[in-house]
Amino acid sequence: MTQSTPTTPLGPSDYPLSVNRPELLRTPTGKPLSDLTMDAVVSGELTGDDLRIAPETLQLQAQLADASDRPQLASNFRRAAEMTAIPDAEVLEMYNALRPRASSKEQLLAIAERLEGHYGAAESGVVVREAAEVYERRNLLARPEQD
Amino acid sequence: MTSTQPEAFRRRSSRRTEILEDRPVNLDGFVEEWPEKGLVAMESEFDPRPSVRVEDGRIVELDGKGRGAFDFMDTFIANHAIDVETTEASMAIPSDEIARMLIDPNVSRRDVLAVSRGLTPAKILDVVKLMNVVEIMQGMQKMRARRTPANQGHSTSARDNPIQVAVDAAEGALRGFAELETTLGVLRYAPLVAIALQIGAQVGRGGVLTQCALEEATELELGMRGITAYAETISIYGTESVFVDGDDTPWSKAFLASAYASRGIKMRFTSGTGSEVQMGNAEGKSMLYLEIRCILMAKGAGVQGLQNGSISCIGVPGAMPGGIRAVAAENLVASMVDLECASGNDQSFSHSAMRRTARAMPQLLPGTDFVCSGYSGVPNLDNMFAGSNFDTDDYDDWNTIQRDMQVDGGLRHVREDEILEARDKAARALQALFAHLDLPAVTDDEVEAATYANSSNDYPLRDVLADLKGAQSVMDRGLTGLDLVKGLEATGFHDVAENLLTVLRQRVSGDLLQTSAILTPDFVPLSAINDANDYAGPGTGYRLQGERWEQLKKLRHVTSATNPETEVG
Repeated sequence: MTQSTPTTPLGPSDYPLSVNRPELLRTPTGKPLSDLTMDAVVSGELTGDDLRIAPETLQLQAQLADASDRPQLASNFRRAAEMTAIPDAEVLEMYNALRPRASSKEQLLAIAERLEGHYGAAESGVVVREAAEVYERRNLLARPEQD
Repeated sequence: MTSTQPEAFRRRSSRRTEILEDRPVNLDGFVEEWPEKGLVAMESEFDPRPSVRVEDGRIVELDGKGRGAFDFMDTFIANHAIDVETTEASMAIPSDEIARMLIDPNVSRRDVLAVSRGLTPAKILDVVKLMNVVEIMQGMQKMRARRTPANQGHSTSARDNPIQVAVDAAEGALRGFAELETTLGVLRYAPLVAIALQIGAQVGRGGVLTQCALEEATELELGMRGITAYAETISIYGTESVFVDGDDTPWSKAFLASAYASRGIKMRFTSGTGSEVQMGNAEGKSMLYLEIRCILMAKGAGVQGLQNGSISCIGVPGAMPGGIRAVAAENLVASMVDLECASGNDQSFSHSAMRRTARAMPQLLPGTDFVCSGYSGVPNLDNMFAGSNFDTDDYDDWNTIQRDMQVDGGLRHVREDEILEARDKAARALQALFAHLDLPAVTDDEVEAATYANSSNDYPLRDVLADLKGAQSVMDRGLTGLDLVKGLEATGFHDVAENLLTVLRQRVSGDLLQTSAILTPDFVPLSAINDANDYAGPGTGYRLQGERWEQLKKLRHVTSATNPETEVG
């Protein structure tokens, strides 16, 4: 990754990054924004992965959200940065597992461990752990099979 | 009945009563309040009294309940939405003082936010209950997150005809919608219709953002593939029981919010007064109290915005005394906690044209981030969101009201030759793209019909089975937004391909993830960061003037000042 990291946190005047700070932006495949041209599309150089957001970019957007007094939005972007590593299908699986009465406490804790251990997604893990605790208290865990 | 009226006066109705009986407004439903069941807009003695208590950096009491008695909404709001550092100080400010801050031009938006981030749901209710509808509008004028107001349109088809969706999206984009949304009658049509919406929008005006309202998981998948640009139908509810009935929790929805952001996709939640009582479990609380819980839940999840204003439940508050005031108040609350607000006016609401117009004034006059979260860009019979408060028949009325009041409702009059050109081009682009991708053919007759059509009745019938097969193949083959760009470029629609590529490229930068973001016609992201609402009284904030005002002075028929025999335009 050749993404340059700004030495001081970004502020509102850096927004929009695509206009004011394009040099900070890279695709997850390491390409600068200026490489995302029609020629590159036509030649087949660009794939779907080139049009995804990189975790580093989400961290930059989190800095902007923090600088705009939006701490919850910034936290959301930090969780999102962690989740860029998770394949689409698994993201959907995890979401479905968080639906009411879809999972046992053990299943939810296993997801939290996978997030934290396999994906280094500590902040996202916290959300799932909190869900497990609240679901238990509010009787929203999966009910044992009954005949 | 023990009427004291003389018998003779009750034999028949007067001519006037007959005329009034026949007025459309009397087809609307109105009911008495029933606070015990939550059938009350915003004034209920059963709503909790505001309170908060913090111990060891944690909220342990919220609106009269101790932590042990919290349901999951209380827990989520206490843990994530309310600023623990400032809550006790904010809660100590009398409600009337906070209400006055909301309308005082000498108090900045930032000053209000410094207080509102520490308020509980019951306290916020206590504040907005003090405000009449004009004060609510004054508050909205200042608290709206984005300085420049905008509008969102629907483009749907009663036959799920993708060509109609494309050409009406092109016309809508040209007329000014910053976002366009579609949904389906037959869900399996979704991939074809979502593609059509995207192509049509980019023909009409590059940079318009599109979405397809579907079940959560499918909606996310279309977004991940780059076929749609944002998502909105992520519903949340104000009671735990109704939230669970919707098969979600605040944690599943918060996870989903991060999932969207992790793919660079703009997203907002949806909620609205009346949904809990309509779904049968308001737990005896007023509609607005429950909606404020939704708004704070959205805030706590870190989602950038919310579609609210009763939305598909508008008939419920609409039937109540003060109901439309409550709907205006819920939009204000979303804005006063710093969320993007797409402010309703998006569902059939009344048989009365006067009532439909009056209902929109609290959003249109002060301006909101999106005045309608679905102005129907198709005739009402084609509106698959069960009809909107405004539709294509109302375009000229809307434009005239903007000109009369000198307010910016996000639309403009466009000359017919330009509209026909855009419709024709959208239909031809879709024809070429479908052929290129080996999707069901669009005939020249269909292109011709689409250019001049009003409703789905004006189009040749499609082979639905072939379309559904084509739709399935979009999913099976894993077609993405990039394939659409390639196809458009290969078939000679270079400018449309460039527009779409530029929209897709936005997700690499993440700029559209910030609060209230839209794309200008020059593809510059415009959000609450670089277009922050700076209203500070008369002469400040967004003013409809200059080039934009010149645009809005134009109507279908305006008599020339220099030659009264001719019209300008």
